[in-house]
Amino acid sequence: MTQPLYIISACTISPQHTYDEEHFLDPAMTADDGQLYVIDPDYTRYISPVAIRRMSRMLKRGITAGMKCLEDAGVTTPDAIIIGTARGSVTDMENFMKDMIKMEEQALNPTSFIQSTYNSVNGWIAMMTKCTAYNQTYVHRGFSLELSLLDAQLLLSEPGDKKYLLTGGFDELTSEYFIIREKIDYYKKDIPPSPELLAHYDTPGTIAGEGAHFFTVSNDPGKAVCAIHNIAMLQQPSAKELLDATADVLSQNRLKIEDIDILVCGMNGDSRNRFLIDPLIANCAASTTIVSFKQLSGEYDTASGFGLWLTNYICKHNYVPPA
Amino acid sequence: MAERVVVTGIGIISALGRGKNAHIGPMRRSQGGIHAITHLRSVHAPEFVLGEINMSNDDLAKLIGLPTGDNGYTRTTLLSLAAMSELLNDVDISLLREEPFAFINANTVGGMSKMEDIYMDVLAPGTRPENIKYIDTLDCAESTENVRRHYGLKPLMATISTACSSSSNSLMLGARMIKSGMVKRAVCGGSDALSRFTLNGFYSLKNVDKKPCKPFDQNRGGLNIGEAAGFCLLESEPAAIARGAKIIAVLTGYANTNDAYHPTAPSPNGDGAYLTMKQALEMASLQPGDIGYINAHGTATINNDLAEGRAIQKLFGTQPPPFSSTKPFTGHTLAAAGIIEAIFSMWAMEQQMVIPNLNFETQMEELDISPAPSLIENVLINHVLSNSFGFGGSNVSLVFSKP
Amino acid sequence: MEDLKTTLKQQIIDSLNLQGMKPEEIDDNAPLFGEGLGLDSIDSLELMVLLERNYGIKIEDAREGRKILTSVQTMSEYIQQHRKI
Repeated sequence: MTQPLYIISACTISPQHTYDEEHFLDPAMTADDGQLYVIDPDYTRYISPVAIRRMSRMLKRGITAGMKCLEDAGVTTPDAIIIGTARGSVTDMENFMKDMIKMEEQALNPTSFIQSTYNSVNGWIAMMTKCTAYNQTYVHRGFSLELSLLDAQLLLSEPGDKKYLLTGGFDELTSEYFIIREKIDYYKKDIPPSPELLAHYDTPGTIAGEGAHFFTVSNDPGKAVCAIHNIAMLQQPSAKELLDATADVLSQNRLKIEDIDILVCGMNGDSRNRFLIDPLIANCAASTTIVSFKQLSGEYDTASGFGLWLTNYICKHNYVPPA
Repeated sequence: MAERVVVTGIGIISALGRGKNAHIGPMRRSQGGIHAITHLRSVHAPEFVLGEINMSNDDLAKLIGLPTGDNGYTRTTLLSLAAMSELLNDVDISLLREEPFAFINANTVGGMSKMEDIYMDVLAPGTRPENIKYIDTLDCAESTENVRRHYGLKPLMATISTACSSSSNSLMLGARMIKSGMVKRAVCGGSDALSRFTLNGFYSLKNVDKKPCKPFDQNRGGLNIGEAAGFCLLESEPAAIARGAKIIAVLTGYANTNDAYHPTAPSPNGDGAYLTMKQALEMASLQPGDIGYINAHGTATINNDLAEGRAIQKLFGTQPPPFSSTKPFTGHTLAAAGIIEAIFSMWAMEQQMVIPNLNFETQMEELDISPAPSLIENVLINHVLSNSFGFGGSNVSLVFSKP
Repeated sequence: MEDLKTTLKQQIIDSLNLQGMKPEEIDDNAPLFGEGLGLDSIDSLELMVLLERNYGIKIEDAREGRKILTSVQTMSEYIQQHRKI
């Protein structure tokens, strides 16, 4: 599959000043407790007071990032809406479940239940843009965003007149989610300040984050500065399999690793994945700039969305910000 | 690369049982699988009837050859494994180990049936050791990963969650991947296990009938929740023929559209359902009159049956092909509904029968059409339409044709 | 009855998160659905939860419920007749 996905616009709500790109890393936001929560923008810009009153953070966030992304692309109604989320709206799920337990299954509020369905953001954006076209939600952990992009590539290579697709990924952090994941050693035992995450690559665990990342993609380059050519998803690869897959993807584009100017890398400070990261970086040319981002975004299943937004930002400004 | 996509394997488990005979027999005898609750521990157990599978988690574990008790497997995973093992009665696993394929699963609440029982313990300090292994089982992909791992497979994987249309979407994605040449074959389907979360969620929407449901009936009172799992093997037709596979049906048409109307209710005049069915027929290059049987979504909620009924009438006229909802047999199995009802549609076509719409008595006053209340045999069915419409306005229609 | 109506209006505001609204702004007889406050079907379910939690009144049928929820006036009358707490 060779259909390039041109990124017409990218919108990210994250723990950094990314929604308003002008102030990205000005200043860089940090956390000392291992939990990077998003900076909430003004959600009333895209969501009416009547609708917003019931909505949880994740729903507001997903809708706003998606709608702004479309607005930035100059698209009123996209030709498809394809979104990925590994955990959906965690707050709504927690609220309904705890209420159900506390109230012993009596007199339960339907709103949390409805909003806990994984495709609720999809449904809302479809309603708001009157988009009756293809609509899909992927919920496969760390592949959720990538699957939405792969599906977009597939869709644009099929017969038809689809042109602008809204894709994206989002995941939410809650204090309960953090507490629970700590118990399976997901996070660092001794939590470093977030800017120092990657200096602690000798211990297991990472830090937590959240975000919503949307991309209007097209088969028409327009004014795009960045296009996705290949998407490969590997299931528990060995270091060799990762290197081979990287070489394979590059050779499909008639490139070698020495041709790569920038590697945007999702290294997250967890010593248990160094066996993958170290050879990958060692394999790069000395002239390749390695850009990490999880010290800014935290780790979550769709954090690659932050990496993709950052890649587009770098292409747009022709500059790698120091972080 | 526009080869036809065919179905060459089926695996299913529902309230009616496992495999073809367990389903077709009761369908012929109009014996529904909705009954009083035996396994789900809910305060509402005495009030509700559900499409519960008559196997405990230990029964399912023994079936698959897993240890019983606290084995780290949620009911959702166990059902998925059971359906996969059924599929592997038809399909040699070496086929899946030797060549690249896609594995597309679907789910709405992941391992919720376990997590809701242990959540407060998992949250509190000093979580019991036996509960720690369930911590990462809440999400929708846990059953996908477990099936892959159990059978030692390395497919291109995806898990979809679009509410009640989820596993219809799995089939559609599998077909699209095969047509594009991405893979030669795909195992597609979905599962959902009963949970108090889902039962109470739908109950809070006042969408649940405490008696067996009555789809398309004037006096319908809502749905019965069910649980099930199903998978189909899809292949490109040349690949199937090359290995001498028996072709069960051809997936000739599919469509995915969105109602864009309301978070949980379809547009009352059925615009969304109409558009989806029409697009699926167009893709299959068929006229409405070519369809021999419609397996409706037919949840027996006020909103769905009104919207879907109107849409069927608008597209097919006042003399539509026979149509029925099979949800009185299995309950509404949520993410599994699409796949199991696609399977029923294919079996109906193979058996040349119209599956009855149980519990139907009174035509809806808004409609001039009614479902088939009893079994019809020896019906010429060359093409069958299967609908699944979900929350978030997610609509999918599939068309299967005789090979 | 007047106290009940005032309390009920505040409970409606809280339950439906009608931010910034005050009880005085809700007319006793104004339709809650359609025009008036413009509430929707999910709000009607939330109001039924309100009736159950605060007054012990359980409504099983959503269509029956909508008739009771026509206005603050109809709700108050129903509560007076059927409340269990």
